[in-house]
Amino acid sequence: MSIILLGINHRSAPLNIRERLSLSCGEEGKVFEELKNIPRVREVMYLSTCNRVEALVNMGEAGADVEKLKAFITSHGNLSPEEMEKCLYVYRDEDAVRHLFRVASSLDSMIMGEPQILGQVKEAYRLCVKQKTSGVILNKLLHHAFSVAKRVRTETTIANNAVSVSFAAVKLAKKIFGTLDRKTVLLTGAGEMAQLAARHLMDDGVDRIIFTNRTYENAVRLANDFHGLPVEFELLGEKLGDVDMVISSTGSTEYIISRDMVAAALRRRKNRLMFLIDVAVPRDIDPAAGEIDNVYLYDIDDLQGVVDENMETRLGEARKAEAIIDEEVAGFSGWYATLEVVPTIVDLKSKAGDIIKEEMEKSHSWMKDLGGEERENIDILVNSVVNKILHDPVVGLKEESRNGGADSYVAAIKKLFRL
Amino acid sequence: MEMMFFRIALVAYFVSTVGYVSSLFAGRVRVAKASMWVLFLAFALHTVYIAIQWTGAASVPSADIYGSLSFVAWVVSGAYLAFQTITKTRVLGAFVSPAVLVMMIAASAGLMDGASIPSALRGPWVPVHVVLLLAGGALFALACLAGTMYLVQDNLIRNKKVRGFSSLLPSLRDLDRINHICIAWGFPLLTFGIIAGSIWARTVWGSSWHWDPKQIFTAVSWVIYAILVHQRLIIGWSGRKAALLSIIAFAGLLFAFIGVNVFFVTMHSF
Repeated sequence: MSIILLGINHRSAPLNIRERLSLSCGEEGKVFEELKNIPRVREVMYLSTCNRVEALVNMGEAGADVEKLKAFITSHGNLSPEEMEKCLYVYRDEDAVRHLFRVASSLDSMIMGEPQILGQVKEAYRLCVKQKTSGVILNKLLHHAFSVAKRVRTETTIANNAVSVSFAAVKLAKKIFGTLDRKTVLLTGAGEMAQLAARHLMDDGVDRIIFTNRTYENAVRLANDFHGLPVEFELLGEKLGDVDMVISSTGSTEYIISRDMVAAALRRRKNRLMFLIDVAVPRDIDPAAGEIDNVYLYDIDDLQGVVDENMETRLGEARKAEAIIDEEVAGFSGWYATLEVVPTIVDLKSKAGDIIKEEMEKSHSWMKDLGGEERENIDILVNSVVNKILHDPVVGLKEESRNGGADSYVAAIKKLFRL
Repeated sequence: MEMMFFRIALVAYFVSTVGYVSSLFAGRVRVAKASMWVLFLAFALHTVYIAIQWTGAASVPSADIYGSLSFVAWVVSGAYLAFQTITKTRVLGAFVSPAVLVMMIAASAGLMDGASIPSALRGPWVPVHVVLLLAGGALFALACLAGTMYLVQDNLIRNKKVRGFSSLLPSLRDLDRINHICIAWGFPLLTFGIIAGSIWARTVWGSSWHWDPKQIFTAVSWVIYAILVHQRLIIGWSGRKAALLSIIAFAGLLFAFIGVNVFFVTMHSF
């Protein structure tokens, strides 16, 4: 194989280096142009997310020199050789395939099992198809990666359990509301975790987020960021009746949402379910509010507890996923191995075709007395005899190559048939 | 002839039950999907069976306990299949299909030989009475099931035990909606069923109300359901209280249907 994957990710490189690299690589078209111009690069895909920058390259021949590829990364990231040595990983052949499969299946993600990465890989592949930098190998490899990701998703529960607090909050919300479409969320304070949760919620269909803050300007700023609605802090109690979910993360030292406020809100919204998430320390919402019927209150420890339990399950599931990936890597290698015998098979068939053509021409003199239909029948007969003879050797050759021992057979066939 | 359809339907119900239950443990969507189609097949066969029975028979097919059970099973699986398309809560099938299977097995015990119908049950109001009540009862059974699942899920979320079993259950909102829809449809069926029965009672027994235990328990359940419907529609009751009440009301109804015949002397036993 001559597939090479190199890059940096959240484990190998700190954020500032990742930033530099992804910024420098910049516009979509340019990178492909540059990579494509590196000698011996036949196919290339470029993946850049906030946690990784990777190039997947088919160099066309085994043992190809990757220094130029490394130089590409170093020059863009403006890295010193030491930094590069530390941050950059280079995978070859089966390891490269395995790494790609792991990335697509979200096993290599910062939050293992998070669903975005597959979309990002698909997007990267779409770009690479658009730039016409993919060929037989990358096309097959990427489609294989997508199906592996799907297999991992359906055969393990790796993506079922949320392992970040904000994602856990979204999961819980779905458990309560079913779908988050047309749900309204109230965000108090400007904590980072609350913002992250808001982002997740919006991705999942929440269409209205109301922001409130003791400093009204902050609420306005956040509302602008999220296309939400700013509300004055004094109206908090009133607004509570309009929302399905509350995420609270203010720095207040006392409860800002009391049990009575929640009870009143619930009456106003005719007892429809409410989900309160309190990620503030010290807490913002009176724990007694959670005792009300149809109100579900989770504080940061509750969410963390959910996440911790999920983490354990997920590690177990990751082992299952790795086994699937091993199997699939072997499958891809099998397909790849048959590629090495393809030229021989093509040669063999074309030689046979040439012989048929030649012999038919030689027999032309006596065949011309026959009728058109008879000549056609002879043609069919000759072709099918030749194909039958070639069938077994071709199948055998592919089989041998899948087992990794086709070299001697290829040599023998070339010699015996004088290809 | 129609018994053949019944038997194949019974086998199909069995297969879908096995499929649904194993999908719970395997956690595979594909298994649940396949089970859904098997259940659909079972339902279709069952429909054919019931259609043949109704068009062919001179008497009321669902009058005895066995016919009733088969009919209730038919309504339950039909209603569930309808819900499945609306709410996509396949997991409910793992609870519905075993219930249907049990009813079908119980029904098969008596359906094999045709029972004779007493003269009091020969009249135009009887099939109306029986069919409406059984269909209503089937919907209430589903409501009770959804209500039970709601209470379990509510309890799990409240106690922050959201792993494992909780993820097998549908969301609270879906369960509440199923509970609500079943009761909203079941209540008019129950009401008209009772009216049809009382009209017939007037004809055969001379008066529509007899303080018969069966009548009393049915009336009590009707009142509870009436309260539930009222609270839901007017006050916006939902969730735990509604779920709890729907379970209590169904217990009353079930007792009126089966329990009364065991513990009381009732003129309403055939």
